[in-house]
Amino acid sequence: MTKRTGVFVCHCGKNIAATVDVKKVAQELAKDDGVVFSEDYVYMCSDPGQTAVIDAIKDNNLNGMVISCCSPTLHEKTFRDASELGDLNAFQCEIANIREQCAWVHKDMEVATEKALKITRASVRRVQHNQALEPIGVPVTRRAMVVGAGIAGIQAALDLTDAGLDVVLVEKQATIGGNMLKLSETFPTLDCSQCILSPKMVSVSKNSKITLMTESEVESISGFVGNFKVKIKKKAEFVDPELCKLCDDCTPVCPVAVPNEYDVGLTNRRAIHIPFAQAIPASFTLDEEACLGLNPVVCGKCEEVCDVGAIDYDKKPTVTEEDIGAIIVSTGFDLYGMEHMGEFGGGRYPDVLDGLQFERLCSASGATEGHIMRPSDHKVPKEIVFIQCSGSRDPENHCAYCSKICCMYTAKHATLYKHHVPDGQAYIFYIDIRSGGKGYEEFVQRSMENDGVIYLRGRVSRVYEKDGKLRVMGVDTLAGRNVEIDADMVVLAQAMEPSKGTAEIAKILKIARDKDGFLAEAHPKLKPVESVTAGIYLAGAAQGPKDIPETVSQAGAAASKVIALLSKDQLAHSPMVAKVRDPYCTGCEMCVDACPYDAITLVDGKASVNEVLCEGCGSCVGVCVRAAIDVKNVTQLQIHEMISAIMA
Amino acid sequence: MVNVEEIRDYAAGLLEKGEVKSVLGFRRGSASAFAEPCTITNVGEAASLVWDPTCLNNLALYLVKDRKQQAVSKTPDTRPVGIVAKGCDSRAIGVLLQENYFKREDVVVIGVSCEGTGVVDPRKLSAKLKGRTASRVTFAVQGSTSVAGGRTPGATDGADGINVSVYGDETETVIPAREVLADRCLECRAAAPALNDVVFGNTVEARDFNEPFHAAKEAERLSEDERWATWERHFDRCLRCFACRAVCPMCYCPECVVDSTTFVVTLGTSAEEKANRIRWCERSANTSESAVYHLTRAIHLAGRCIDCGECERVCPVNIPLRLLNTKLEKEAFEMFEYQAGHDIEQASLLSSFRDEDPNSFIR
Repeated sequence: MTKRTGVFVCHCGKNIAATVDVKKVAQELAKDDGVVFSEDYVYMCSDPGQTAVIDAIKDNNLNGMVISCCSPTLHEKTFRDASELGDLNAFQCEIANIREQCAWVHKDMEVATEKALKITRASVRRVQHNQALEPIGVPVTRRAMVVGAGIAGIQAALDLTDAGLDVVLVEKQATIGGNMLKLSETFPTLDCSQCILSPKMVSVSKNSKITLMTESEVESISGFVGNFKVKIKKKAEFVDPELCKLCDDCTPVCPVAVPNEYDVGLTNRRAIHIPFAQAIPASFTLDEEACLGLNPVVCGKCEEVCDVGAIDYDKKPTVTEEDIGAIIVSTGFDLYGMEHMGEFGGGRYPDVLDGLQFERLCSASGATEGHIMRPSDHKVPKEIVFIQCSGSRDPENHCAYCSKICCMYTAKHATLYKHHVPDGQAYIFYIDIRSGGKGYEEFVQRSMENDGVIYLRGRVSRVYEKDGKLRVMGVDTLAGRNVEIDADMVVLAQAMEPSKGTAEIAKILKIARDKDGFLAEAHPKLKPVESVTAGIYLAGAAQGPKDIPETVSQAGAAASKVIALLSKDQLAHSPMVAKVRDPYCTGCEMCVDACPYDAITLVDGKASVNEVLCEGCGSCVGVCVRAAIDVKNVTQLQIHEMISAIMA
Repeated sequence: MVNVEEIRDYAAGLLEKGEVKSVLGFRRGSASAFAEPCTITNVGEAASLVWDPTCLNNLALYLVKDRKQQAVSKTPDTRPVGIVAKGCDSRAIGVLLQENYFKREDVVVIGVSCEGTGVVDPRKLSAKLKGRTASRVTFAVQGSTSVAGGRTPGATDGADGINVSVYGDETETVIPAREVLADRCLECRAAAPALNDVVFGNTVEARDFNEPFHAAKEAERLSEDERWATWERHFDRCLRCFACRAVCPMCYCPECVVDSTTFVVTLGTSAEEKANRIRWCERSANTSESAVYHLTRAIHLAGRCIDCGECERVCPVNIPLRLLNTKLEKEAFEMFEYQAGHDIEQASLLSSFRDEDPNSFIR
């Protein structure tokens, strides 16, 4: 068939045109073999731009086209849709990226134009060998899984069930609620965290559409968007939640005491315990690691005293397989370890606390029943120092990023402190106050004006113990002087980091993480709740530091994406999948091992691709020493043509 | 010491019981001292099998040839094949099994341990003999009675403990093993065949010659420019006779990247494919094309080459091809603790990824 290729070069306003002579690119390509139409336009993706594309296809009877513009992640779909409107198969349209890969990274117009020309020419040579392809239709399982049941996961699960979807909610801990459960009050309105969270937790437990799996973790996943198969491992359920009547006869007899996670180590709990009074599911649970041995010969005291016989040491972990259509990952955050903050006495002095520990001191459900006192001697601290950006914004030593919520929660801590200790004095060391958000700036101002909190702009160099006090050595850069404060208590606004296990779940689910270890969104602006893997979405602080309102919004957004996805009868799967060149295949299985999607199996000694599982990543092409496997429309011939075009 | 009678008896036994259709082994060659590969198909021929330091070839190559023959035969003989295999040969069989080229039950591996010596390098030997031709080469153990001439050879190199005796022109020369052994044998890490159905000889692992990857490490001492200059000269000399490819048991691809003659045309071959044969590399000999050929071959052998050194041995212009492959073998070992052919169950180097692999950019 005669090649009738069209070329469309976009200016992207000045984004491309400032560095690349787009007119020249269009004119030069017009001379290439098979190119029958070549023009430039200021905004190709605009309505007039797309109309021009559609008209050009029809007028010139094009059988292939290249849009020379921005990254295909942005507008490949736009132009393939336009292509279809012009009656040209969507897969006969290719994008040549001359923005991110050319204009944005060069300054010299002459060389940038030369490069843009080569990139576009390579795509022209490629598209001239493209096949017309049709998307592959795959069925959908109308069931979602949410991993992590903090406020993000809870909100997402509830929103999904509102749309009539069944949800499997998987939580690693013994209760749902996550970090929000530990907070006393929330900024900027100072409403009680538990009061707003526990109704949602109860809704989860009462919701028949939610299968709640606590003390459970995702073990493995297979399948693809709309049709995942997920194996979930649940720890042995030594205490039967159906039988447990919360009588609390078991904890007094338990001889083991370990730090209480719910109180961030400020108190101890027994091996058999209930995470906290309003835990969901409402049941005692046995901490296998802390327990003396799950063996009546060794201990067995709790089993003896349990009247209803709810305790059974012989229970084993279970693994269940669930069919899932889409997944929301909301695995949350942990605070950056105090042990990293040696210069501030973190992990060394009992009265140097992190933000969550201070929350527990303020909380009515905490160890002190809401009275702020020093863990060391139970005295009420009269002078308290808060250090912001502890571990944040320090690329040399700690985390490079801003943890976003610390400015606000430190202002809240100082305010709460003044409410509890009216005659006390709070100092806050800060670098900047970042209080963007509805009512946030006013809240910070109130803490200064109404509660007399002293804000000191500068960093703290050291905190050490002297005469029963914590001496804080800092600097006030606005006054230009050193500051020394003998404080009774120091609270470090520790950086947020992805929760422990984020790396693992990312690996299991095959989703990416960013440079700081948070889960990576597919596009920072346009796909903020999508992961890079189709059908897996992100919500909450696992994706990056964020506060409760933002987390709840993102959870809702992720849920709506899932609802939209699962509302379809069939999903369209990209037809750009691997294809085996049978005569060349020797059945060595290297591609089988290399395929990250388990899409290749050996049939009669030859590799065979499951097109529905294949994502067209090309890992198999890379490992096949016999060149016996190609990805459709990225064949060896096409790659060779592209290299030839660039090297010519 | 390997008793060749044991090999002969075992091979004869296999043939007699009909467990194999043939046995691949070595017999006395028709010229000079060097043994040649042979296929024996009846019990009587077993007596012609030999075992000495001139059994150079990697016979796994002939398993590949047998498999290719079966693929095109209308009445293929699918009975197993017996094969005499040194340590390196057994690793080659291991890689072929790992790549499913044939099944374990298709082959009976008659392992022969090199017992701390190996095979001679014909070039080193001929240099030693200064133009004379060796008519017989045997193992000789220091201090014991020579297996060959019934005489006790004089020990010239006590450090090795094992010498190679050369008979020719009615005279006998005793040469220290380390002076005539092939480079790969001097660096060998596994002289005994790990993959086997039977092993003859002692499974000696440690030997006192060169450290592993000695030659590659020596080559690495040169600067980048010096190395490039060296290889450019070598590639310039390449005749593109493809003997290296022909002798390599791992070079079994139906279509080689440099070939335009073996293009497989089937019903599924599109007109476009036929019309657009890709030529990544030209067949004719010039420096850059030869460089592409050799480097492609080296990359394709990464994690697959088992260092039998056959490519280097057969090169008519003495290109040190083994260096290219051992360099990659060394990288595979040092970076990924991967040794080709050591474990047929493991995923191949190219296709496997472990979390601890040195790849800091993958999260």
